[in-house]
This record gives sequence, C-alpha cells and structure tokens, in this order.
Amino acid sequence: MNMISPRSFWGGMSQAFLWALLLAVGVVVIYPLLWMALGGFKSNSQIFEQPFALPEQWSFANYLSAWRGVQGYMFSSLLITVVSTVTTVFISAWAAFGLTRTPMPAKPLVTAIVLGGMMLSPTVALVPLVRMLQSLDLYDTHWALIILYTAFRVPFTTFLIRAYMLDLPRDLDEAAMMDGANPGQIFRRIILPLCRPIIMSCIVLHILFAWNEYLFAMIFTNNPAVQTLPVGLTSMMSKQGTDFAQVFAAMTISALPIVIIFFLTQRYFIRGLTEGIGK
Amino acid sequence: MAELRLRDVRKNYGTMEVLHGIDLDIPSGEFVVFVGPSGCGKSTLLRTIAGLEDISSGEFHIDGILMNHVAPSQRGIAMVFQSYALYPHMTVFDNMAFGLKIAGIKKDQIAVRIRQAADILQLTPYLDRYPKALSGGQRQRVAIGRAIVRDPKVFLFDEPLSNLDAALRVATRVEISKLKQAMPNATMIYVTHDQVEAMTLADRIVVLRDGRIEQIGSPVELYRRPANLFVAQFIGSPSMNVLPGTLIDTGSRSRLVLDAGFEVTTEIATDATLRGQIVHFGIRPEDLRLTETAPLFRATISLVEQLGEVQLTYLERPGLTEPLIAKLPGHLDLRQGCEIGLTADAPNFHLFDQHENAIRPVQAGQKIAVPAE
Repeated sequence: MNMISPRSFWGGMSQAFLWALLLAVGVVVIYPLLWMALGGFKSNSQIFEQPFALPEQWSFANYLSAWRGVQGYMFSSLLITVVSTVTTVFISAWAAFGLTRTPMPAKPLVTAIVLGGMMLSPTVALVPLVRMLQSLDLYDTHWALIILYTAFRVPFTTFLIRAYMLDLPRDLDEAAMMDGANPGQIFRRIILPLCRPIIMSCIVLHILFAWNEYLFAMIFTNNPAVQTLPVGLTSMMSKQGTDFAQVFAAMTISALPIVIIFFLTQRYFIRGLTEGIGK
Repeated sequence: MAELRLRDVRKNYGTMEVLHGIDLDIPSGEFVVFVGPSGCGKSTLLRTIAGLEDISSGEFHIDGILMNHVAPSQRGIAMVFQSYALYPHMTVFDNMAFGLKIAGIKKDQIAVRIRQAADILQLTPYLDRYPKALSGGQRQRVAIGRAIVRDPKVFLFDEPLSNLDAALRVATRVEISKLKQAMPNATMIYVTHDQVEAMTLADRIVVLRDGRIEQIGSPVELYRRPANLFVAQFIGSPSMNVLPGTLIDTGSRSRLVLDAGFEVTTEIATDATLRGQIVHFGIRPEDLRLTETAPLFRATISLVEQLGEVQLTYLERPGLTEPLIAKLPGHLDLRQGCEIGLTADAPNFHLFDQHENAIRPVQAGQKIAVPAE
C-alpha cells in the first residue's frame, strides 16, 4: 500500500501555496497594465460598457493619435533621461572610486557628506532651487531637469557603486599600479569594467526614476516643448479627460520603453544589486 | 641586473612602527627569501620595496639610485601577488599585455614578448581564455607571465604558492626554480611563511621577527648555525628541541646540567664568565638517534606520528615541560609507552645564552677566559 509521507504532503502543499501566491502577485502587477494597454484598442463607449472584455476591433487609431500628442514629451523625456543617466552614473562611479580606492584626507567625513545627500528631501529644496535656476537662466529648460535629476540621484547611485567597489580586491589596483597605470587608467580600464553589473543596475534605476519623475518636471518646466511625459500625460488627461481610450493609449506608449528596458536588463539588474552582498 | 640596498628603512602606520630600521644588501641576480611568522613585517617590507607602501624613514636604492619617492612602475620591478590579481575581465593575453600597452609598446612587439613568455610557462593554449576558466596553477603562471613580459630588473613574489594545493605547490615551486635558472641576472625577492619554499628556492634567507631582521644567511647556514633561539626554532620542521639548563663547566668544551635531569657536554667553547648561568641547549629532532649503549638520555614515548619514511616520536621524561621530538626511521617498531635511549653527535649540539643568542664555537686564535680555580 502506498503511503504519502506527511513531509512530502506538506512539502507539496507549501510548493502549491507558493505557486499560487506568485501567480496572484503576477496577476495583481500585470493585469492593470494589460487592462490599460487593451483599453487603448477599445472605443470610449466599450471601455464603459464592457470594461473587462477584449476589444471589439483591434484598431491602432487611438495609439496613432496618442503618439501625435505625446511625441514631443517623449523626446524631452528621452533626452533628459539619457543625459542625466550618463552624468549621474559617470559622476557617481568617479566619486565611488575616489571614496573607496584613493588615499584622501578625512575620507569618512567626505563619504558622510556625499551619502548624506540621500537625506535631502526634494520638496524642502524646491523654493531655493527655483530661485537658483531662475538666476542661472536654466528655468524651463531641459538642463534644469538634467541638473536636478543628476544632483538628487548622485548620492544614492554613489552609495550603490561604492558598496560594490568596496568588495573588489585591492590587489587589482596594485597590480595595475605596478603595470604603470595611473588612477584614471585604473578606473577606466580595470575598476569600471568590473563594476558593470552594478552600473547596469544603477542605469536601470535611474531610467525608472527620470522617466517617471513628476514633482521637479511639473515645477521647473512650463513650455510643452520642454515638459516630460508624466507632466504631458497629466495635461493630456485634463484636456481629453473624456477620451479615456486615447489617454490609455498614451499611458501605454509612455510606459512601454520602461517595461522593455526592465525586461531586457533584469538579469544584470538583479545581479548588480545582489553581488555586493557577499562573496 | 639590479642591486638593492636598504638602509635603516622604517615604516610607521600612525604611531605604530612595523619595520624597525631594516639594513639589507641584495646583490644582482640573487634569489632572496623573506621568512617569518605572520605579522613579522615581511610582506610590508616587500610592498615597501615595490613602492606600494611609502618608506617612513631610511633609504632604499636600486643600482645606486634612491627609490624612496619613485612610483612603483618606474622602479623596474614586477610583482606576483598572493591572490594572483589577474584582471578578471581580460583574457590571459590581455592580462599579460596590459602593462606593455600602458607603456606604449607596439602591438607586434607585445605579441612577440607574450608568445615567448607563454612558451616558457606553457600558457600558449590558454592565451584566449579568461582567468575564471583556468586552474589555480595556470592562474599563478599567468601572474608570473605578466611579470616576465615587462622584463623587470627585480621580481617580487608575495606568497605566490599559498593558494595552491600541496601537489601543485611543489610543481609550481619547481617551475619558479627553473625560471630563476633561466634568468640568472634577475634579482628575485620572495616572501613566504613556508620554510620548505624558503630552503629550496633561496640563495639567501632573511628571517624577520616583529619588523626586525633576525638573521641573513644561506639556507644551510641558517639551519646549521642559527644566530639565535628564534631562528633555530623557526627554521627546521619539526622545530629544534630546546632544553633549559645551567652551564657548570666552561672552556674549550662546555658541560651543562639540563632541567630535564641529564648532563650534556658540548664541543662549543664558552667564556668563564658564563659559568653558572642559565643557557638553552638545542638539538634538532632529525639529529637524535636511537641507542641502547650509553644514551644521552632515556625517555618514554607519549605519541608516534608515522609518516612512512620517518616517524615523529614525542618523548616525555620528568623535568620536561614540553615533549621532546625525535625524527626516527619509519621502519622501527616504536610504541606508545616504551622507554627508549637516544643520543646525538656533539657537532649537532646548539647552545644559546640567557639572551637567546647563539654561543658560537670559538674560532682559531680566539682567546677564551680560563676559569679561576
């Protein structure tokens, strides 16, 4: 007679429970996105009459008109995201290199000041920043957001890269030094390539931040030619509040690049964030 | 060809001094090994020579040129690290080429040099591999290859074999020996805590303790004529047996009564002023042999470690605070609890004064104070 041991029974149960939980989480996360994307194919009336049904006709008309509406914002978002990602990651990597691998007086104090930037609330800094950027003639320009995104993300990005660099063996720097490399060459040719996993993570994190940031984008830009997608979508919603199909299409278009980037880089993203944890 | 000279070299970390005035001359083409227990400063001394640590005071010259403030890469030195320190994102070829590329050497010359080094180190099939795809021994050879291609005047090895297993360690040791033979003009400095490596590789050994040089000499000299008790016990495995005792007769032959309860007469001449003083008698485990006729002493076996060719026999007798060790032939039937007689030849006896310095046999022509009767 076959007996199922209690251990295997409970093991199977816990496995099934785990699968069910993961499935539920997956549905909770993916379904709203899917619903939004499908909404872009529906007519406005179908959205209200059959909110959970598939579109009656797979028409790209909403997407095309939404694209015409958001392409200016998309360009601004793309420009600001790309430039601020490059500046943030480059400055943070250099800073982390300096904080971890060069002799520097009062290094703990400098580290505390740099990382202390993470404590600064963007909301608190708004008023002085508006005055400052106005006086620099940068208000309502792409540069305003590029500078702010870089300044506010450098501490956190430095924190991540620094933690990773601390785990890289110091022998590598010394071997490169014996090979005649100067600090710049050690950084560029040895340390930076070895930090690729965490750099990838930082790039993804910064893209997520810069693409979705709303507060600074709303305060520091007025001109639609300068505004980014989150602000553009808000103004689109206020203008076309009744045309939900087009709003859903615009939202899907704006979310698509981030979803694609995340899926393409998630392997590096997870590796970068976990590799520094231990040996 | 490079001659190294260190004069009163000191190294401080804050208020803590870790090298206390090192004076050392290393002639061109010599293979010098730094040995000593952990924390004795041997790696710090090596890194100071490499330029990876600043010299706090004193002078370091290579070929008569002061090197204190010269960058590591400008000293004509290559170093092999304990951890290999290979660049993980570069192939074997690129690892070996890195220093040459930085120096601005042309690509075709780089390729020639790397092929030559790879041939010597049997690395040719692995030039396109990444370090993670190599075994420990192969990685170590790449690290050595990276040093060779730069054609340095001085090679530094910082415990290069300590990450290898026992068999590979022997094989790589032999390779380093061959490498030295192939480059007779290269000056090599090698740091290890493994005295077998030190004894087999070195032209001269520098024994360090607490940031000071205890003795410099050839392996045989250190083994046969240790300058003090520390060197005597550090060189040789198992360590030299050391027995405290009192000097009762001085002159051209010295007689002492050991705390272990037997007398020893040595051929080491002692000054009359030493009579009655506490001294240390030393005898190496391999110099002791079994005898039943007129043994030096008798003792009871407390433990036998059979190693095949030899057996390490741990001996106890009243008055001994630590067991004596004798290295006896492996074929003998020795059992725990047996009492055996042991003897040794007088030329193998060592004597150390109360300051733990060796009392040397008197040289011809040297006067000895005769005790007043």
